[in-house]
Amino acid sequence: MKMIMTIFRKELLDSLRDRRTLVTMVVVPLLPFPLLIGISSRVTMSQIKKAQEKVLRVGVLATQTPLNFRSMLAGREDIRIIDLPTLDEGTALVQSDSLDAFIAFDPAFERAVTELRSGGVTHVFKAAERREIETDRVRKIIDAYAATLREARFKRMNLDASIINTLNVNEQNLASPKERIAEVIGGFLPYLFIIFCYLGAIYPAIDLAAGEKERGTLETLLTAPVGRMQILLGKFGVVTLTGILSAGVSIFGLYIGIQQVREIPPELFQTIMSILELKSIVLLISLLIPLTVFFAAGLLSLSIYARSFKEAQSLISPLMIVVIVPAFLGLLPGMTLTEVTALIPILNISLATKGIIAETASPWLIAEVFVSMIALAALSLYLCSKIFGRESIVFR
Amino acid sequence: MITVHNVSKTFKLSREQKKELSDDEARKTVDAVSGVSFECRPGRIFALLGPNGAGKTTTLRLIATLLKPSSGSITVSGHDAVKEPLKVRAQIGFLTGTTKLYERLTPNELVKYYADLHGMEPGHFQKRKEEIFSLLNVHDFANRRIGKLSTGMKQKVSIARTMIHDPAVVIFDEPTVGLDVITSRSIIELIRASRDAGKTVIVSTHIMGEVSLLSDDLAIFHNGKLIYRGAYKEFQSHMRSDSLEEEFIRLLKEARA
Repeated sequence: MKMIMTIFRKELLDSLRDRRTLVTMVVVPLLPFPLLIGISSRVTMSQIKKAQEKVLRVGVLATQTPLNFRSMLAGREDIRIIDLPTLDEGTALVQSDSLDAFIAFDPAFERAVTELRSGGVTHVFKAAERREIETDRVRKIIDAYAATLREARFKRMNLDASIINTLNVNEQNLASPKERIAEVIGGFLPYLFIIFCYLGAIYPAIDLAAGEKERGTLETLLTAPVGRMQILLGKFGVVTLTGILSAGVSIFGLYIGIQQVREIPPELFQTIMSILELKSIVLLISLLIPLTVFFAAGLLSLSIYARSFKEAQSLISPLMIVVIVPAFLGLLPGMTLTEVTALIPILNISLATKGIIAETASPWLIAEVFVSMIALAALSLYLCSKIFGRESIVFR
Repeated sequence: MITVHNVSKTFKLSREQKKELSDDEARKTVDAVSGVSFECRPGRIFALLGPNGAGKTTTLRLIATLLKPSSGSITVSGHDAVKEPLKVRAQIGFLTGTTKLYERLTPNELVKYYADLHGMEPGHFQKRKEEIFSLLNVHDFANRRIGKLSTGMKQKVSIARTMIHDPAVVIFDEPTVGLDVITSRSIIELIRASRDAGKTVIVSTHIMGEVSLLSDDLAIFHNGKLIYRGAYKEFQSHMRSDSLEEEFIRLLKEARA
């Protein structure tokens, strides 16, 4: 154990003095969350605000628009009415973005309403992304106008407007705020944690095995009176630690990112902060430990096999897809942690993390994930030690 | 003391190596060392001479337990290289001309690392470090990162790293390759000093000048086999050519024939 710690301390010191390791371990995982959350929330909020406060240019037919609808529009400060002679002209102006919406009532609209039939109205708009908000604003005005007509119709017929309600639905959503949040971000977060775990382990794994081989320092190290397993475990400890630190730093980055968003609703903020409670973080990190052990052993095996730093990079880079695909599958709707998915590496971590965030994961399934990942990590470490023990690979 | 008895080492050929050997495509293995026996005694320098690929480095790696012999036996200070590799490694210091150092460590940290790997007591380590650093003038740059040192300074650090645990056996694999005259001279002096201190010294080289400067005993390798083994003085007295180089080439030609 003393020798393993000696090698671990040296490798850690060596790695921490390497700028590239520090960048992949600290900078890369720390920045995405604050940047993503900060920039996206600011941009989104400013776009929403802009769309909500914008004075909309709404075209109507000069001759066929009911007076009460026209006065409804005229009473609003956020609407500017533009009278146009034909539907085609209005459509062309919406198409060219000169109008935000065009509303054309059918010539027979008023008669249809009087005869208790449906009146036709055409709403022309061009909605995409942020313009959905503008379109919704106009749609709400039309809905409000329809409600006034309906109310007038019921009055005329001496009916209580409430008779239209055949059901009085009392909706009770028992999903906790955490579960609702988990649906949105629960899949996305583990995806990022898994990727950072992997990314954080890549560079030290290459540097401590293929790099050392290429530099010629491995040969000297192997002449010291230390077992190969001890050397491997020392190096392996550093690779695992950097992977876990990367994931830890990304969680810290998430905390910073959430802190800087002021416009976030208090309920949502409280829920996200509760995900970042010590208990959840400890559970998340402890799930990531066997995963990182598995990554570290796999990465070190390839790195030991490679003759040079460059060869190790070319062997390891394509494996990113093997990590991304199962991590991504966890994002898919309907994908949940079951007895079967708990056995699929990476996907099980993704789904278990989602379950931990939502507080819906069964302890038995979480235990199954732990056991399967620990078994896999032990197996990959065993294979790694076999590779490191083979002189034909070490001296390729 | 090193005893090498009837040692052979066979390597499996890689796919690329098989392609390179177009003359015999059926070959799956190569004999890097074949039936080699010799003995290196304390207080003497044993030189391995031979062209590139003759088996010198493989032999040294076998002695240093980096490789396992396919057959035969090796003992270092009475310990079997296959059965007791850790005890063998505790006895040896290994220095090659191509060895690089951990560039992000300082000489102090590097030497301490190797002392720890050899299980040296702190007091003994401090005393030994003082001796070696003073001898090699390492103190001036002992706390600078190795990556920022000159080639000569790095070589001094390499020597300090090799000798910190006061090994009974010192292995030098082409130790002066790529070094300038002054740095090479310091290595030659170290090899001699090791011999004078009663250590068992084995040096591989293909530089004739080094052989005449250093050798007490000589072994000449060709295609993994020993074509000469004996005391250097004896070798000199039986030389049929005018110079060591001529004699070496003559022996190689004779072996090929």
